[in-house]
Amino acid sequence: MVTIGKYFGDYPALTCATNGDKVFIHTPHKLSESCRPQSANVGGDVSLLNINQKVSSICAGNLNPSLDYDVLMVGTDTNLIAYDIAQNMDLFYRETPDGANAITFGTLGSFQDQLAIVGGNCSIQGFDCEGNDQFWTVTGDNVRSLALVDFDKDGHKELIVGSEDFDIRVFREDEIIAEMTETETITCLHPIDECKFGYALGNGTIGVYERASRSWRIKSKSHAVSIHSFDLNNDGVPELITGWSNGKIDVRNESSGEVIFRDNFNSSVAGIVQGAYTQPGNDQLICCSVEGEVRGYNSLTPQKGQTLMDINVEQEMIRELTQKKQTLLMELKNYQDNLSQSQKPLTEEFDKPGSLIPVNTQVETELSVQPETQESPAHVLLTISTNNDTIIRAVTIFAEGIFDGESHVIHPNANRLSSSLKMPLILPKDTPVDAHVKVLVGYKNCVHYHVFEINRFVPRFSMYILCSQLPVPEPEGYVKFTINDRVQRVCIWINQNFLLKELLQAGNNLHLSFMSMRNQTPLLFKMDQFKQVIIQTDDLDVAGNIVQSLATYLKIEDLNVAAHFPEELKSLNALIEKVDGLNSMRQTLTAGIADHSNLIRSMVVRAEDTRLIGDIKAMKQGYTELYHLNQDLLRDYNIRCNNHTELVSCLKQVNLVIQKASRLRVGKYKTQVVTACRAAIKNNNISALVKIITTGAS
Amino acid sequence: MPPFERMDPMFYAISNFRRRKFKECAELCTSILEKSPYDQCAWTLKTRALTEQVYVDDLDLEEESISESLLDENAIAQTARPGTSLKTPSDNAQETMGISPAVRPVTQSGRPVTGFIRPGTQSSRPGTMEQALQTARTAHTARPVSSASGRYVRLGTASMVSSPDGPFINLARLNLSKYATRPDLAKSLFEYIFYHENDVRTASTLASLAVKSTKEPDWWWQFHSAKCFYRMLLYREAEVLLKSALEQQETVALYHYINKVYIKMDQPLQAIAMYKKGLNRFAGEVTLLIGIARIYESLNDLNESVSFYRQVLRFDSMQVEAIACIATHHFYNDQPEIALKYFRRLLQMGVYKSELFCNMGLCCFYAQQYDMVMVCFSKALALTDDSMLLADIWYNVGHVAMGIGDLNLAHQCFRMTLTYNNDHAEAYNNFGVIEFKKGHLAMARAFYQSSFALAPHMFEPHFNFASLNEKLGDLQGSYNAVRKALDAFPEHTDSKELIQQLRQHFSLL
Repeated sequence: MVTIGKYFGDYPALTCATNGDKVFIHTPHKLSESCRPQSANVGGDVSLLNINQKVSSICAGNLNPSLDYDVLMVGTDTNLIAYDIAQNMDLFYRETPDGANAITFGTLGSFQDQLAIVGGNCSIQGFDCEGNDQFWTVTGDNVRSLALVDFDKDGHKELIVGSEDFDIRVFREDEIIAEMTETETITCLHPIDECKFGYALGNGTIGVYERASRSWRIKSKSHAVSIHSFDLNNDGVPELITGWSNGKIDVRNESSGEVIFRDNFNSSVAGIVQGAYTQPGNDQLICCSVEGEVRGYNSLTPQKGQTLMDINVEQEMIRELTQKKQTLLMELKNYQDNLSQSQKPLTEEFDKPGSLIPVNTQVETELSVQPETQESPAHVLLTISTNNDTIIRAVTIFAEGIFDGESHVIHPNANRLSSSLKMPLILPKDTPVDAHVKVLVGYKNCVHYHVFEINRFVPRFSMYILCSQLPVPEPEGYVKFTINDRVQRVCIWINQNFLLKELLQAGNNLHLSFMSMRNQTPLLFKMDQFKQVIIQTDDLDVAGNIVQSLATYLKIEDLNVAAHFPEELKSLNALIEKVDGLNSMRQTLTAGIADHSNLIRSMVVRAEDTRLIGDIKAMKQGYTELYHLNQDLLRDYNIRCNNHTELVSCLKQVNLVIQKASRLRVGKYKTQVVTACRAAIKNNNISALVKIITTGAS
Repeated sequence: MPPFERMDPMFYAISNFRRRKFKECAELCTSILEKSPYDQCAWTLKTRALTEQVYVDDLDLEEESISESLLDENAIAQTARPGTSLKTPSDNAQETMGISPAVRPVTQSGRPVTGFIRPGTQSSRPGTMEQALQTARTAHTARPVSSASGRYVRLGTASMVSSPDGPFINLARLNLSKYATRPDLAKSLFEYIFYHENDVRTASTLASLAVKSTKEPDWWWQFHSAKCFYRMLLYREAEVLLKSALEQQETVALYHYINKVYIKMDQPLQAIAMYKKGLNRFAGEVTLLIGIARIYESLNDLNESVSFYRQVLRFDSMQVEAIACIATHHFYNDQPEIALKYFRRLLQMGVYKSELFCNMGLCCFYAQQYDMVMVCFSKALALTDDSMLLADIWYNVGHVAMGIGDLNLAHQCFRMTLTYNNDHAEAYNNFGVIEFKKGHLAMARAFYQSSFALAPHMFEPHFNFASLNEKLGDLQGSYNAVRKALDAFPEHTDSKELIQQLRQHFSLL
């Protein structure tokens, strides 16, 4: 974790977090009392700050506008410290029980002050210079990365949040205005240009979004540690700079992803920052590796028309082109072969021509829901078949979020080839999936196959099976709301979003029962002639997904619902009680540990004392006692660690429930739920919390 | 039957308590409790009486223990900018408008001596464990091993003696959550546990239970919970609680406590800012002003410090600490006459102490009122029988004798000093100088050596040793010694010149 800040006025200092719970600051300019640099020698001073807790994120910025220099913000698992290095004093020290996985700094939306925005487990908080939380909201999972970007070019910055549930969410203050689903945990986000931002995933993908659409992305075997944007070739447009875990640094064009510069470190990259480090006014790109190597890069001077790539890169390009030529030649040869084959008369029935297939060959795909059987869990079955006696040699499916990687290949045994192929898909989440299927079609003895490319859309709620015949037990929980739309429109939505055997015909009212294939729980969807919709399910999450999907389809801007989820509320109550218990337990444990460590301190001094006066016997005794005490301390510490992890997971659950409850509503009611829940939790008012979740307002 | 026995025993006990006869009060309460063991009134009064017997005001003045100064990393910055940390007082005296150590002697920690001895002003922050333990043994500055031991444990044992048939309240059997909901009992019980039993852990449990039991946050409980955390060295937790307590109720004690926390965290500027915030609310509060002055003093910013001491005197002209510090400041600023005035003010106020006479003697000497010098010193000698003090006074007499050129008298005085205090490093140094003047070079060398062995923070013996070595031709030894002198006092001109010469010699070789 690396950041750069101007802690002493005009001159930047590189700041890095170390493994040993410390933060070090390197100041290249030797500072005198009056903060004037005496000599700009790189070498400079390194000073260490003790944090005494594991540092999880650092950031620097001018948090207090009355000071004209930056302060350092350090996030740990339990706290956020804003520290004024020049004056050696704290601005504030705040407890953040949700942790601080990511910090960013800047103005958010229409807030007056600059805020330090901290992303923790399912929660996001914004602190001002006095440590008051001006901003609070919840998100779907643990926040891993944050960035402030003017997403919709309205002059106010929006907060972009990357979380562990593979989603990138865009917050305009409290309100989510966009949501993009990725394929892995979003580890880094960084603003590039006005409404562009770069991202990096845990599986080694990096890419650039322009608003909600992806410009490009690439995937690598090692994963990206840090991304940054910097105009290295001085063309007026910043480039995306990526530091990889294998020590590689590459600079890519932000619009095409083309590599324009590369460098290698011997160890993994730790961070990338920019700042006028050696000469004032001349920004440089600074890259640090985990072993402590720091390299600075100046951007190109404009007058020289040089490129960043050296001669090797050109050679590589030639090699690539030659390769392309080779493949094209191969292809040409194939066509010639086929032509000569087809001109030959057919001699035998089985001796089908090399790779020719009938012209009218088509590949059909079909989706169907399969309930759970003894051999396999419930799944959506994708059946791929050809319309004649050609066989399917192999199938490649490329779909995000279903498979461990991004794609799946089926390559049946040579003796089991047939003209149809069944492929089970298990959808872990209620998201629509676009499956790109590539089918290799040909005859058994073919060497070359024809590739058919098919796009197949798997609807959002594919994992729910319609069971109209069977009586379904009615779940206790429900969501009730009224919409101003015809039943027909809702039917169309259902046809689009559920995997039904035959299309639903609209009547006056709807009464549908579904069964979830994931956990065999029922889901009832009712709509009567008064346009009142009731969704019955015990799962808050499912209800939220349906409401959100329906609202997007029907373009409903604001929607409040009456929700009734006794099970969820009961577990929420239990959770809050557990949090209380864990908190008081934590205090007792802290006191115990402090007691022990006090004792250990004096024992150390006494044991050293006996050593100095040469009383070996007493010294041995002292150190033995010390050893036992230390063991006790370690044991206490382990207990406390467990307590802490449990507490964190409980708090996360609470945040998740709030998030799900807010997802039941749309528009302003959604944000209203979050703020009201926050207030209720702050005042420890559980009955109000329950009421908010049920009615949407306190 | 004595008249008071006809009184209601409870009333009599309360009366005793208010007349601060705590022992009698406790005894009376014991007898009441024997008759009716569930008398809550008597129980509370007894806890209060027992607490008052051993109560120490813990706001002020606290010794930093060896283990804390060595083994703790509470301060965020290890090497903070000069002038922003108590650990690295600005080494460049000119820049902070301080006085160079050539004029005003410094303590081990590199700070100028103060006019008023407080815990911590004389001891240092040692570099290593060995240094810490050894200085504690040789000098007169023994320090507690840790804050958990030391003074608090002694108080705890004292309280055990006072109740020979076991403790009054068995803490292990106490149902703390029951008491926490009873504010009338809980506060006195807390103080009893905290001050009398000295069981910080139990006290902290009680306090945190009580903090939770009230709907509205209670500043008193938050304050006392913070006190427990402070005692357990959990400064961050204490800070959070104190800040929230200050939001509810601003009191001077809270400001003092939060600044104690900031000083432990080595954030003196934060502490000063907090004191100033407190002064906005409590304008002219002397203890807050003194707090600021003390911090500036330990930051080596003596001008600021003295200006705050002057403000103190504007509000309270009897403040001994302020007068003494201003007097010392003037004395070392070459204004002995003004210093003398302040010292005489102290004398008028009834501070009739040998230290004061000793200081006045020195002032008189430098103010050229020679007729008073020896009178003052003889008064000082007559007033004390503490050997450490006697040593210091004899040393000063010797100093005066050297000033008037009476080397024989000086020699005898320093001998007296060493008789009383064998570890008097300054005296050894001056002995060395006398022997050197007499031409006994080997003797002088030995004296210098023993001087800097005892007080490595003084630059004088190092420099003297170096210049002597240089004269004797031991250039390497001289170089080593002068390096040490410059470590102790980097701006010392003579040392700088000497090292320049030595470098030239070496380059010629």
